[in-house]
Amino acid sequence: MTALMDITSPATGGRPRKGVGGRWGWLLLPAVALLAVLFLVPLGLMAWRSITEPTPGAGNYSWFFTSDVALATLIRTLAVGAVVTLVTLVFSYPYAYLMTVVGARARIWLTLLVLLPFWTSLMVRTFAWVVLLQDNGVVNQLLGTVGLGPLQLIRTTTGVVIGMSQVLMPFMVLPLYAVMSGIDRRLLDAAQGMGARPATAFLRVFVPLSLPGVGAGALTVFITSLGFYITPALLGSPDQALISQQIFTQVNGLLAWGRGGAMGVVLLAVTLVLLGLVGIVLRFTRTRGGAR
Amino acid sequence: MDLGSGPAEAGKVKKDALDGVTLTFASYGGIFQDGQEAAAVKPFAAESGAKVLSDGPTDYTKIKTQVDAKNVTWDVVDTDTLWAKRECGKLLMPLDTTIVDTSKLPKGMGGKCSVPAMSYGVVLMYDKKKFGGNPPKNWADFFNTAKYPGKRAIPGIPSDASPGALEAALLSDGVAPDRLYPLNVDRALKKLTSVRSSLVFWDTGARSQQLLESGEVSMAMVWSGRAYAAVKNGAHFAPQWNQFLPVSDSLAVPVGAINPKASMALINYYLGAAQQTKLTELTSYSPINSDAEPKIDKLAAQYLTTAPGRQAQALKVDNVWWAKNQEQIIQKWSDWLAR
Repeated sequence: MTALMDITSPATGGRPRKGVGGRWGWLLLPAVALLAVLFLVPLGLMAWRSITEPTPGAGNYSWFFTSDVALATLIRTLAVGAVVTLVTLVFSYPYAYLMTVVGARARIWLTLLVLLPFWTSLMVRTFAWVVLLQDNGVVNQLLGTVGLGPLQLIRTTTGVVIGMSQVLMPFMVLPLYAVMSGIDRRLLDAAQGMGARPATAFLRVFVPLSLPGVGAGALTVFITSLGFYITPALLGSPDQALISQQIFTQVNGLLAWGRGGAMGVVLLAVTLVLLGLVGIVLRFTRTRGGAR
Repeated sequence: MDLGSGPAEAGKVKKDALDGVTLTFASYGGIFQDGQEAAAVKPFAAESGAKVLSDGPTDYTKIKTQVDAKNVTWDVVDTDTLWAKRECGKLLMPLDTTIVDTSKLPKGMGGKCSVPAMSYGVVLMYDKKKFGGNPPKNWADFFNTAKYPGKRAIPGIPSDASPGALEAALLSDGVAPDRLYPLNVDRALKKLTSVRSSLVFWDTGARSQQLLESGEVSMAMVWSGRAYAAVKNGAHFAPQWNQFLPVSDSLAVPVGAINPKASMALINYYLGAAQQTKLTELTSYSPINSDAEPKIDKLAAQYLTTAPGRQAQALKVDNVWWAKNQEQIIQKWSDWLAR
C-alpha cells in the first residue's frame, strides 16, 4: 500500500517522508476509532451476512459468479468508472494547468467555478442533466437547430458518463492543481535553456512531475464512481444499471442482505486487486524512470 | 389502556384512551403523507390523547432492521400492499379485528396483517394530440407500435415488480383477461423484448410524471395519481381506463411494535368515512371507505378509481398469486431490465 500512499500524497516525490509512528501517532486515534466503529464494523457485519444468510456457506457467492447479469453489471461498472476517469482527466488537466498560469484573481474565479457545483446537491445537478439531455431537452434542441440532432443522450451510457464526469470533476481538478502548483516552473526554463522546445519541455519535465496528481485524482474519481447510485439511476436506463443499483435491488427490494453483502464484498475485492495492480505498475515505472 | 367496549367502528377512538402513549407513523412523505396526517393522524392524536410522531419515507430495510434488532420505533407503517401480504407473519403482525373495523373496506381489499391506506390505479395514458381521433382502447393497442408510433413509458423499477407491465404484455400477446393467472412471466418478458426499442422505463413516480409533461413518450403506463398531476400541469395526455390495474398502499404494524393495540386503534381511526373523505380531498387518491364522499374538482374526480362505472373497467388482478411469487418475479424482472 505504500505505493498508493505515495501517489495519493500531493508531494512531488523525492522528499523524504517521516513515518507517522513515534510521539505524534496518538493524533490518529480519533480518526481510527471513527473508522473502526462507523466503517470497519458494518463492513465486517455485511461480509459476515454474505456467508451466513440465508444459510451458512458460499451460496451467495456462487449465485453471483453464475449470474451472467450480475457479472455483466460488475464489468460494466468497472468500465464506466474507467471511462469517467479518462474523461475527467482529459477535461481537468488543461483546466488545472490553466489555474497555475493565470493571475491570482483569475485563479480565484477558476477555483470557484470548480467548487460551485461541488457545493450544489448531487440530486440538483443530476436533474439539471436530465433537463439538458432528455429527448426534447436543451441540448437536443440546439443540435436540432444546427441540423445535427436529435441524439439519444438520456437513458444511455453516454448520458451516465457525461453526468458522472461533471459530478466528479472537482475530485480530479483539485489534486491536479495541488501538485501542479508545487512544480518549480524554473525547471521548464532550464530545459528550454538547454535546447528543448517548449512542447518537449512540457511533455518530458512538467507532465512526469504532475503524475502524482494524476494518480491521486484518477484513484479518487475511479473509486468514487464505483459506488455511484443516483446519477446512473436517473440518467441511465435499467439495461445499463451499475452494481450499486443491483445491490439496492437485493438489499431493499428482496431483503436479501446476504446477496447484497456478497456483491459488496466482491466489488471491494475487485477494487483492491485493481489498486494493487496500479500500485505495482506505478512502482515499476518509478524505478525505471530514474531520470526524475 | 382502555379502548372502550363494544365492536370497533372505523373512524372512532375513545376520548383520551391513549393518554401518555407515543406512536410513530411512517409513510412515503410528500403530499401523500401530509394528507394522511391532516386527515387522520393529527385528529387521532387530538381525540385519543396519544402523541403521534411522523417519520419516513417507508424503507423496508429499516423495518427489517428494527424487527430483527427487536427495537421497533415505527408503530404504524404505510407499505406496498403486496409487500405487506408477503411479510404477513414475518415482519408484520396480524391485525386484531376487534380493534380494526374492516366492514367498510371495498370488497376484496385488506388482508390478515394489513388494510388498504388508499387506492389508485395503473392506467394507460395516451397523447391526445397524436391519437385523440382514434385513441388506444386497451393494452394490446398500447404495444401496437405500427398503429400507434412513438415511445412508451412503462414502470422499470429493478427492485420492485408489481402488477402492470407483465399483465399488459400478456394481454397484447393474446392471453384472455380471465386467464392471465398464473402469469407466464417468460412469455410476458419475451413480448416485452420484442418491443423493447420503443420502451422507456421510469423508476420513480416523479420520473413518470416528467415523461408525460415533457412529451417524450406518446403513451405511458403510470400511476393514476401521477397521471392526474401531469395533466393538471398541462400535459396533453388523456387516460384510457379500460383494463386499468387497481393498486393500493397498505397500513400495517411491525412485529415487536411496543403498543400494538394503540397502533391498531390509529389504523381503525384512519379508515373512517370522514377521514377518507378528507384524505381524498387533500391528495386525490381514492378513498377506501365506501361511505366516503369527497368534494373535489372535475378533473380530479376523473382520476378516482371509485368514479361511477370505474370498477367494471378494472382488470382482475390476483394479488394472492402476486404476493406468493413476487420475489422470484423481482429477480427475473431486474435481470431482464439489466440485460
